[in-house]
Amino acid sequence: MNIENYEVPVSIVEAVQSLQHGDATILAGGTDLTPQTTSGAKEFLRTLINIQHIEEMRGISVDDGRYRIGGLTTVTDILESALLAAEVPVLVDAADHFASSQIRNAASLAGNICNASPAGDMIIPLLLLDAEVELAGWIDGTLSMRSIALIDFFTGPGKTAMQGNELLTSIVFAAPVEGFRAEFLKSGPRPALEISMVSMGVAAVQKEGVLSNVRVAIGAVAPTPIRARATEAVLEGQLLDESLVDEAAAAAGREVSPIDDVRASAWYRSHLTGVYIRRLLNVVGN
Amino acid sequence: MSAAMEKSLAKKTVIGTRVPKPDAPDKATGRTRYINDMVLPRMLVGKILHTDRVHAKIISIDTRAAKALPGVHAVLTGDDIPELRFGPTRDNFPLKSKKVRCIRDEVAAVAAESEEIADQAIALIKVEYKDLKPVFSASEALSKGAPVVHEDHPDNRSLYYEFSHGDIAAAEAASDIVVEHEFEVPYVTHCCMGPSCVLADFDTTGKLTIYSQTQYPYNYKMDLAPALGIHPGDIRVIQPPVGGAFGSKLDVYPFEPICALLAKATRRPVKLTFSREEEFINSPTRQPVEFRIRSGVNKDGSLTFRSVDALLNNGAYTSWGPTTPVIQMRTFTGHFRVPAVEYKGLAAYTNNVYAGSFRGYGNVQATFVTASVMDMLAEEVGMDPIAFRLKNAQKSGEVTPQGSILDDCRLGDCIEIAAGKTDFLSKHAANIKNRDVPGTRKYGIGIATSIHNAGGAKIHKSDGCGTILKLDDYARATLITGASEIGQGIDAVLSQIVMEELGIPFADITIVNNDSALGPWDVGVHASRTTFIAGNSALRAARAARKQVLDAAAKQSNVTAEQLDLREGHVVQADNGVAIIKLDRLLRQMHFGEDHELVMVTDYYEPNSEPEDRNHVGNLSASWAHGAYVAEVEVDTGTGEVKVLKITAVQDVGRVINRLGIEGQMEGGISVSLGYALSEQLQMEDGKVLNPSFRDYKVPTAPETPEIELHFVESDCKEGPMGAKGIAELPAIIPAPAIANAVYNAIGVRFFAPPLTPEKVARALHQASFQ
Repeated sequence: MNIENYEVPVSIVEAVQSLQHGDATILAGGTDLTPQTTSGAKEFLRTLINIQHIEEMRGISVDDGRYRIGGLTTVTDILESALLAAEVPVLVDAADHFASSQIRNAASLAGNICNASPAGDMIIPLLLLDAEVELAGWIDGTLSMRSIALIDFFTGPGKTAMQGNELLTSIVFAAPVEGFRAEFLKSGPRPALEISMVSMGVAAVQKEGVLSNVRVAIGAVAPTPIRARATEAVLEGQLLDESLVDEAAAAAGREVSPIDDVRASAWYRSHLTGVYIRRLLNVVGN
Repeated sequence: MSAAMEKSLAKKTVIGTRVPKPDAPDKATGRTRYINDMVLPRMLVGKILHTDRVHAKIISIDTRAAKALPGVHAVLTGDDIPELRFGPTRDNFPLKSKKVRCIRDEVAAVAAESEEIADQAIALIKVEYKDLKPVFSASEALSKGAPVVHEDHPDNRSLYYEFSHGDIAAAEAASDIVVEHEFEVPYVTHCCMGPSCVLADFDTTGKLTIYSQTQYPYNYKMDLAPALGIHPGDIRVIQPPVGGAFGSKLDVYPFEPICALLAKATRRPVKLTFSREEEFINSPTRQPVEFRIRSGVNKDGSLTFRSVDALLNNGAYTSWGPTTPVIQMRTFTGHFRVPAVEYKGLAAYTNNVYAGSFRGYGNVQATFVTASVMDMLAEEVGMDPIAFRLKNAQKSGEVTPQGSILDDCRLGDCIEIAAGKTDFLSKHAANIKNRDVPGTRKYGIGIATSIHNAGGAKIHKSDGCGTILKLDDYARATLITGASEIGQGIDAVLSQIVMEELGIPFADITIVNNDSALGPWDVGVHASRTTFIAGNSALRAARAARKQVLDAAAKQSNVTAEQLDLREGHVVQADNGVAIIKLDRLLRQMHFGEDHELVMVTDYYEPNSEPEDRNHVGNLSASWAHGAYVAEVEVDTGTGEVKVLKITAVQDVGRVINRLGIEGQMEGGISVSLGYALSEQLQMEDGKVLNPSFRDYKVPTAPETPEIELHFVESDCKEGPMGAKGIAELPAIIPAPAIANAVYNAIGVRFFAPPLTPEKVARALHQASFQ
């Protein structure tokens, strides 16, 4: 369809008012939207809403132990955040593996989440942090906000729980507990500009060899990014030794349901899952 | 002589110095005007409807809705134009009217007032097909009862090449060790940054001016004319700067006559530009080949025989890809001293896309095979990779079975320098020991070598290049050459040659080589030939101009021309450098004085090479070059990722002319070969391209580009300009097998089919762990 209206709101309220009738495409950084609409994979809806001028949706802050990252915060902003580098380095690490400098400069965090790619690079570390997303809507003449756990946000490849009249305004998560260590690995023959064949994050608190607060998130091995709950259960409260690593690797292998595609075979994705969980546990557990 | 003239100018050479490409500033600042930037008055946008089938009969094409769309000026199908054949074997048509044979086939085209209207018109064209049974593999295509791609080739055989020398059977019987291997090399594509683009404009008398990216403007006219049914003499080719060619623009492809036919139909200029997706699907690839190679060696390490069967997937039509055996077999039969050699190459039509020429012209494939086999044979006989190669390397003066005269053979030098500079043998041995040490990081070192024509390749009746050189009243030189600049840097090299001979600065030289109506004939940019051939022609023209100038100067003074030289814009005494007269003043005196003499010379240089005879024998090139490249890699045995840490390239160059230019050529070539080794592959499934984007077709990017160390072996090639050999292709040929050999050194697993993707390496290691 051809775009009939183009709107440039400068506040969340203005944006959700524009969105209230649905039938709108939201433009943030455009790094996914542009190639998708150019290739025909995605069609523009009647109204194009350019949200890039909503300043209240930018920035990284921490308040009373809760971090808030505005949805329009770019991947470069995350990469360059001294606060995140000090407190939540796994997010910075993931940003450092994200596409190329030019794309990072434009791509927004909310955009990476709403694109809902099983391989979305910023999603895995946010899953390790038990992040929630905040969605704004315009209901009965007032601004309405709701929160949803990020893990529940994804309903399929490219599909989310966000309604057509909603806007993802920010991402929030609690400050990690003391001793929490989170690490991220991403595959690809190229160190840059690569869509993951598998991406994985493992986080835990390790005390005298025993793991707690274990979180395992894996991308590109299922229709959505996943939390590997069974693998987490295998590890939680246990002493990390070689046999536990084997057990965790086996559990992770059972939790993934990879496919063959142009980038990798299911076999290789399963293989990488095993390699990565071992490597990540080796780092997180030490 | 005036007092001001009493200065002494020392002889300075510019040969071997670092000269920036004259086109570089415009490219770096975005000023370069590509065809893509051009707009002519009344210009229309052309667009092609490509088929979505791989083998189908065309039942009908309904263009009514497209024609009715406002802003559409022409809609053409194969039925609207005469069925004119073109291509090297005349098996292609601009628009297909009866059937489609591959996914890139052109079934209709539109010319419209805008890109958007053209897109809409294309979407409105309805084509009805009846699918035919397709065939995709070359071996299946040759089997009995296979679907027929071209009715006039019922056996699907396209081209066949055969060469034999010595008694293979006897050599095999007498060999201590005989091994056989199979290799398969993939579809890869050129990835020119500038997608295919053409602008066609007819004048009122029916003459065509075509703005083209071609790298062979003179034969391009001859090849384009049959597709249009016009006389080649009625075509003028203008060549604006191009965003890469690498061999892909050495042929005429259907979009070019289609654009001209649209221009003819509308009587307006028409420009046609590919999208990136079209560029991946609808432009040529490198030739994929399946090889079977039998090799023999004696226990003392001497090669005994080499027998090669090459099966080429021709695809649906014939561009230059299936002709690459001509160059490919020279490596199989002539690289290292092999007493008995045999090569058979057969190309079979299939419903796949088709290959054109691509930097290396068949030798990329041959070198991947021979360099891998050389490593395996060395191991078979228990020799190290260096000693084994040195034992079998030819010496200067040897002639290969196909008649390549190695009068200046630097193969042994290259190998020795490469081994020495990299501490090859000690690293090689240490890496083998490290294979069994626990840990997932393994290190490898590998070497590969090859040979390539370095003085042109006489595959046409002439391998020449023409030059027109003039000097104006201000001592500014204009060099009009047949040689095209496609980014490879010939403008700088030719300028240096003129500078050297005429003693004028770089800024005072203009190179003109973008208009077929002005330039004298040249075969084209291919076969690593331009520095050698165009360089020789420019050198001869510059020397003729120099002689004319010095003769005139001698006439005015009491010395002979031989006692004079041209330096820094002056005529000087050769022995002491004392300036006699400024060059521009002398030129004005020649021009406006009694003799009315203008300096403008012409030259046509034909190298002393020979076309092959019917048996593929002849000294095809006026010179041959070798190279030895070493790759050092790190292999992650968990993920299978191969990281190339360093490439050390030792290149036999005759003589460096532009040091900056040759470094750029070599680094670029190495990057191309790195992609071939590790990541690049156009994935074909049932005739369709699965990864037509830079997202999924993985060219190397900056972070994985290794450290590159270059060494030039300079020997002064007798026939070459200033002693230079042409070496543009070898850097794109040799690194890939050096990388594969290095991976073997690291993990003990041999790969017979590039690219060595992480998945392929991980799988091989996984399988090896169960053996």
